Amino acid sequence: MEIKGRKVAVVGMGGVFPTCANLEEFSEKLFSNKSLIREWDKALEQDKKIRSKVSGFVTEKEMNIEPVYSTLLENYPEVFIDLLNRIPDSNLSTADIGSIWAMLASLDAVKMAGWSNNETQSEGTGVVVGSGGAGHEILRHAWHNFFELDKKSRSVGSHTVDRAMVYRDAANVSCLIKNRGVCESIGSACATGLGNIGYAYRLIKFGLQDRVVAGGVEGTSLETFVGFDAMQVLSRGFSPEESSRPFDKDRNGFVCSFGAGIVCLEEYEMAKARGANILAVIDNYHNNSDGDGDMFYPSFNGQQRLWKGLLGETGTKPDVVKAHGTSTPAGDAIELLSIVDCLGSKDYHISAPKSQFGHMLGAAGAVEFITAILMLQKQKVLPCLNANHLNLEQENFQKTDKWQGPTSPLADFRDILPQQSFEKEINYITCLNYGFGGTNSAILISKDNS
Amino acid sequence: MERQEIIEGLVEILKTIRTIDQEKLKSVTEETDFIADLGTPSTELINIAAKAEQKFDVEFDDDDIDDLGSKVKDIVDLIIRTKEKG
Repeated sequence: MEIKGRKVAVVGMGGVFPTCANLEEFSEKLFSNKSLIREWDKALEQDKKIRSKVSGFVTEKEMNIEPVYSTLLENYPEVFIDLLNRIPDSNLSTADIGSIWAMLASLDAVKMAGWSNNETQSEGTGVVVGSGGAGHEILRHAWHNFFELDKKSRSVGSHTVDRAMVYRDAANVSCLIKNRGVCESIGSACATGLGNIGYAYRLIKFGLQDRVVAGGVEGTSLETFVGFDAMQVLSRGFSPEESSRPFDKDRNGFVCSFGAGIVCLEEYEMAKARGANILAVIDNYHNNSDGDGDMFYPSFNGQQRLWKGLLGETGTKPDVVKAHGTSTPAGDAIELLSIVDCLGSKDYHISAPKSQFGHMLGAAGAVEFITAILMLQKQKVLPCLNANHLNLEQENFQKTDKWQGPTSPLADFRDILPQQSFEKEINYITCLNYGFGGTNSAILISKDNS
Repeated sequence: MERQEIIEGLVEILKTIRTIDQEKLKSVTEETDFIADLGTPSTELINIAAKAEQKFDVEFDDDDIDDLGSKVKDIVDLIIRTKEKG
């Protein structure tokens, strides 16, 4: 149960972002309305086997990481080397590329938080970090060598489990920073990043932890990309920077991207007492399920209940809604209409950061949470890039008898869908993320006004 | 194959295990203990054994790997014994 009066502050953040060396460059590019999406050479190599060819990807080289390939197996990255010596070799030996990004992002976030070693390594500090996909790159080559090439199990080495297990990112971060509190991963598909932050918020709010390193990761993986490409849900037919176009009437799928976002949360009074720089306060987190029995199709009713659970009777109206906004035909329309149904169509703006870097899957909610913190800091709204033309006609589902939501076409909401970044007084931001399985997550953050 | 030749080959393998302090590899003898002297994580021992199979063109029995000691001489003995078995 919540402990009354106990608040949660965001005190640190770090991440791995496409085409960016660090958080500063990420921020600069986003508020300059730039796209981080490129043609992906690994997808292009597959020629006609893959439909989509664009991604917000991050290479090992860009992160100053070098793979060492096994002499025993074909194409198996036995271990990675950190060319900048940020992570000890003992930690690298148990990590896939996503776990390495989680560790790098955690080091940056903890540094920004300013926690002492005693604080970081205490029983009051938890790690809650998750990923959307498995350790595909490790598993694919290991199992191919065993099952197809008839190699012995020992030839794959002793790190297939720790480098590919479900909570590998959290485990690797925990072993690196040596915390003594909880170490877990929450998995909720594309809501994973926000789900982990929300769970971490509850751990502190409920009095179970004082500090938590939380977030989401999605290591660059062609296997992940291929899975979504096979579903025919990825964007195609546009230039890279125009491929992710949430709410635009010509949108035809999302851009499969990769990255990592990690934040440090701390009990508010403890953070205040040590003079921490409080980046934001988390006011509430709510998550639920659609209850429609549908793995994929978004639910207007589920999202209505999500908003009700988040805001309740507080009367709070966010200045900015950081939308999930994936650039898929049905998802964006349902989301926009559910936002409008709850908040009306005036006095707030919708930001869709996926328009600039694509859909980072398990990392999306965490990286986009970081973009919300940046919006609070800069007092600037990030755009819905490429939302150039909105549908002047009703969506097909709006024409059915079953539809209970707003009947206006999306074009009626032009004023709340900015195409460029702009300055504005921002006190409250809501972040939304949804995932396969009908899972919905929402968080409300605000500026620290004390 | 001479024992010293095998030890040199093992050192080449150990150089690829990044969790081992490379400085300590300058003075490896038959009595060197992988765990106690080199600080090799126990999870790496099977990787060393698998790489030794490849380098010395042998295939160890599972029972022999289970019984393998943690000193350099133990694996040198096993390599020679396995080679003799053909």
